[in-house]
Amino acid sequence: MPCIPAIARHLSRMSIAPKPTSALLIVGHGSTENPDSSTPYFEHADEIRRRGLFAEVHCCFWKEEPSMREAMYLIDSKEVYVVPDFISEGYFTQDVIPRELQLTGPTTEVRGKTYHYCLPVGVHRSMTGLILKRAKEVAPGVDPAETTLIITGHGTGLNPNSTKAIRDQADFIAASGAGYAAVLDAYMEEQPFIAEWDKLSQTPNVVVVPFFISDGLHSYQDIPVMLGIESEVGAAASQREIFRHNPHSLREKMLYYSSAIGTERLLADVILDQVSDFDKVHK
Amino acid sequence: MDSTANQLRDLLKSGIHRIGELEIQTDVCSNRLIICHFADIQVSREPTFGGLLVHEGPEGAREISTYSEDGTYRFTKGQVNLKRGWVMLLQNAEDLRLALDQFYPACVGLFLAQQGGTLEIEMLRDKLNRQTGMYRFARSISDAGAQKLVQEVCGPAHQCAKKILWKLDAQAPLDDSEASRFNGIPGDLPEAEAIPLLCREACNHFVSECRKAAKAEFEAKPEP
Repeated sequence: MPCIPAIARHLSRMSIAPKPTSALLIVGHGSTENPDSSTPYFEHADEIRRRGLFAEVHCCFWKEEPSMREAMYLIDSKEVYVVPDFISEGYFTQDVIPRELQLTGPTTEVRGKTYHYCLPVGVHRSMTGLILKRAKEVAPGVDPAETTLIITGHGTGLNPNSTKAIRDQADFIAASGAGYAAVLDAYMEEQPFIAEWDKLSQTPNVVVVPFFISDGLHSYQDIPVMLGIESEVGAAASQREIFRHNPHSLREKMLYYSSAIGTERLLADVILDQVSDFDKVHK
Repeated sequence: MDSTANQLRDLLKSGIHRIGELEIQTDVCSNRLIICHFADIQVSREPTFGGLLVHEGPEGAREISTYSEDGTYRFTKGQVNLKRGWVMLLQNAEDLRLALDQFYPACVGLFLAQQGGTLEIEMLRDKLNRQTGMYRFARSISDAGAQKLVQEVCGPAHQCAKKILWKLDAQAPLDDSEASRFNGIPGDLPEAEAIPLLCREACNHFVSECRKAAKAEFEAKPEP
């Protein structure tokens, strides 16, 4: 299990050597309903583009433009690293993305280009450090010994792997020496339900970190209703004058609710880590 | 093959100066490229760009193109409600390409592929048959329902400036309508002067409307 100093060292190191003849394709979900859904993907792309590591950096989406099938019209390079900016290995990363991009394995030749299919960002071990960083930021000065940390995700019956990344992170953090009284996983659509956060927690403080890429429909609008912070689904994050303030005194506990883990700027490093790991394993 | 940016530079030399609602101008003195809303062309040529908000570099393109003037989310980029009142200064064709891919995702590449004969068109039935989750139901829409939706959702009358290239399936072209005839160039401009916005696959908004229409068709059916 990783200890905190090891995670910190991992986060601070340079991720990969430049790949001036390769393209990086960041794949996200996107939304036609919520304008904030794709923001982190573009921010991650901007951050990596600024570093000049790749010949080109592009994004494509399942529910937004450009679509995954339009991605090939964006790319000039012959070699393309595809990184799913998704939080779990599940339905989208194992079924939808390979089908849409016509990928048949780790490396696939498609219409004269070589595509390398990396693992999604959410399963990388460095996510543990990002969750802990986010949890500390959202509840500064709160004693972990009197706090339950809940990592929450969607959960779906479509693919049992969808919750594995979150369960793994909860286990890593519980064993990391971070000192939380309990570290739990909870979901929108499968047990244990995030709506029952107060019953799941035995401590006076509860920190909830949404394991989503964006502060979109689920993490910013749906889950706050399940937590009891909001009485009904509100406006999108970017269409509010202020982001919500912590803590929330609810159900006889102090609740701290963070923004989605994917909005963390350092997630750009995790994308690069997945490219680096791909090369180590497959090249 | 030449890079997209180089091919874009050649297109500009050939007389193309418009894509969607964007006008592309070359500043001869500074050798910069300038883009703005085509309705702001005149004011952009005044000293200090006539007071238009100046963006240096392509980074502001997404912010400009995400919301319309009245704050509505532009969920498809082909919508003809791009904000006015700004000008973007770009150093080279690479930056122009980056900006255009934010305003009109992949549209330069789609046009170049069409010109080169390599553009692959995706029929509506193929698109609907690949939908998952709550959108799976969209595939049950009737042909007549889909044809009707094209006329109710697509085309400039419904705020979309893309030229539809797809059919329902290989044997079922779209019915003739303003939407199906539209050439992908908003404004009154000769085709040789613009990169048309191409719709090679039905957008997710159309898929979402198909789902609603399919449900309405299902609910309207008399019980057996």
